[in-house]
Amino acid sequence: MRAFWKAVLALLREIGDENAYARHLREHGSVHSAEEWRRFSDERLARKYQRAKCC
Amino acid sequence: MKKIAGQTAWGLVSVVAALCLAGIATNRGEPINSLWVVVAAICTYAIGFRFYGKFIAAKVMVLDSSRATPAERLRDGHDYEPTNKWVLFGHHFAAIAGPGPLVGPTLAAQFGYLPGTLWIIIGAVLAGAVQDFVILFCSMRRDGKSVGEMAREEIGKIGGFTALITVLLIMVILLAVVGLIVVNALKGSPWGTFTIAATMPIALFMGLYLRYWRPGKVLECSAVGFVLLMAGIFGGQAVAASPTLAPWFTLSGVALCFAVILYGFTASALPVWLLLAPRDYLSTFIKLGVVLLLGIGVIFVHPQLQLPALTRFTDGTGPIFAGKVFPFCFITIACGAVSGFHSLIASGTTPKMIAREWNAWPVGYGSMLLESFVAIMALIAACSLQPGVYFAVNSPAGIVGSTPAAAAATITQWGYPVTPTEMENLARDVGEKSLFYRTGGAPSLALGMAHIFGKFTAATSGGRAILAFWYHFAIMFEALFILTVIDAGTRVGRFMLQDLLGHMYKPLGRTAWMPGMLVTSAAIVLAWGYFLYQGVLDPLGGINSLWPLFGIANQLLAAIAFCVATTILVKMHGARYMWITCVPLAWLVTVTFSAGYEKIFSDQPRLGFLAEAAKVQAALDAGTIANMAAARTQIFNAHLNAFMCGIFLVLVTTILIDSVRVWAAVLTGAKAARVAESPFVLSRLQAEEL
Repeated sequence: MRAFWKAVLALLREIGDENAYARHLREHGSVHSAEEWRRFSDERLARKYQRAKCC
Repeated sequence: MKKIAGQTAWGLVSVVAALCLAGIATNRGEPINSLWVVVAAICTYAIGFRFYGKFIAAKVMVLDSSRATPAERLRDGHDYEPTNKWVLFGHHFAAIAGPGPLVGPTLAAQFGYLPGTLWIIIGAVLAGAVQDFVILFCSMRRDGKSVGEMAREEIGKIGGFTALITVLLIMVILLAVVGLIVVNALKGSPWGTFTIAATMPIALFMGLYLRYWRPGKVLECSAVGFVLLMAGIFGGQAVAASPTLAPWFTLSGVALCFAVILYGFTASALPVWLLLAPRDYLSTFIKLGVVLLLGIGVIFVHPQLQLPALTRFTDGTGPIFAGKVFPFCFITIACGAVSGFHSLIASGTTPKMIAREWNAWPVGYGSMLLESFVAIMALIAACSLQPGVYFAVNSPAGIVGSTPAAAAATITQWGYPVTPTEMENLARDVGEKSLFYRTGGAPSLALGMAHIFGKFTAATSGGRAILAFWYHFAIMFEALFILTVIDAGTRVGRFMLQDLLGHMYKPLGRTAWMPGMLVTSAAIVLAWGYFLYQGVLDPLGGINSLWPLFGIANQLLAAIAFCVATTILVKMHGARYMWITCVPLAWLVTVTFSAGYEKIFSDQPRLGFLAEAAKVQAALDAGTIANMAAARTQIFNAHLNAFMCGIFLVLVTTILIDSVRVWAAVLTGAKAARVAESPFVLSRLQAEEL
């Protein structure tokens, strides 16, 4: 059951881009800040919304 | 011993699937319980996944988990990232699940539950899941290339360019159709309109919250947004009951149409973080929650299917849309059985996140089966309504009569009894003024869902009073993610247009150039806005002409994906396995070209665009039409729809001919069978990284 909830939380964090942000911080060796989130978010959202959404 | 136990278990699953399918197919005359459909679907999916999916994975694709995927080789922490297979499964499912699998089956229920059920189950196992899986595999072996890029590489430049144009045109029709669903759901409904209007400031608040107040806290922000949305639903009830506020939110179809157009333009021009992204996060979370809730609700409540297996409308005289069960059932239900749009997702983010090649099997094949199950649940929700109620909600005034009494009399005459009082009571129960002529599928789906959720929750809470809440929750849920499709789609359409126009005038290709951005956004919004507007004015409710056009376009996109997939399979194995993609391709070509031909050339004015134009022209010539300007517009629209349909068929014929030329050349040895796969690299991913 614990593993299930862990997987659900991981999925929600993946959909919400929180995992991607954690990876971004790790890759760039930076720490969380409002500025860093905005930089990450702008880059990610620009790429995300160049692709079609499904009907 | 283990092998025998396994074989016995699968044998049992097969027998149960066969019995349930036979039960569904042969039952006539009395209502059938929805559990038959649920069990038939689950067992068939299990067999399809375990045997057909695995056969494709092992024998055709020869998946190799020792081969490094693009996620590992090109890992950048952003797009390319090895991801746990169940997380990716959910992520991919959330990306492919849109309004299509909910609305299509609801509309196709006019033929009865049988055609839709069989097409959703069989279509998903043999076509939809195969398309998603094969395209995902092809893209994964090509560093995550898109279906358009693969078409250009594997078939040729003509195929690639044609695919781009086709996607752009499909996008225009798609946005108009989903916009029309929202308009029809909110027309004359102050409660629904207020709730949806409230989602705008909520999304803006969430955007600011995430950007400035609590950066990076997406889950927290979405939870706050969800609470505000629930408050919006209750606020809508108060607004609808207020004699002062209710008129402000009671809008006509035309007013709502302009509101949606204005919204599309604004959302496309605003920064994504402000409106689009927060709304998208929230709608995705709600979508997953509702799908889960609907699944539990359907199994827990297991309602009787009130609609018959086959209705009298299989002959093509249906009130919701014209056309016989073949081919129109198969284009009306697209996303739940096979959807071309999925090929864009399967060749988008997902192939860049697969950690192991074998994970493509559950992610590509499995998530389409889940999507198909969502369509089955929508079909059950629609078919569990009383047939008279279902037709009263979904039939346009132009078909059943412009007063409730006339509509009820017409529908009762068809053999589906309903009374104006019954409809009035139902409307009161769900907090609406009227439920007649609420075409588009969303209101009847919301009614079906509300009944299921209502019964599910009635055991623990307030009975009938909860029906109104669930109805408006379902409307909010549908409109919320339709609006996300509209704003994201407009933006993507703008990028595509800029990409095309950039070849003619370079600055137009720059996405950051403000005049170019405004001009192309306006062009895309005007394109889908025009179709939406004509749909709103259409006396037959618009869905009659626009949904089939969208269905044809979407299935033609699937045909393009199958052309690409077949080309790659032919290059990999010669003719040996080409049937896997060629059979669904042949079916889709047959269905879409039959439907396309009928939509253009049928001599019935309700079905054929040209016949409709000729009928109105004749009436105009005879002087029997008072509003001549409206009649001329109707003629122009019918010609435009015929032209669009013709263009889709021509574009796909071009790709088909180009593909067959390549297959013939490869099979006869005139052309080298060179597959453009990335070279093999041994995977070094550790178990803890998966």
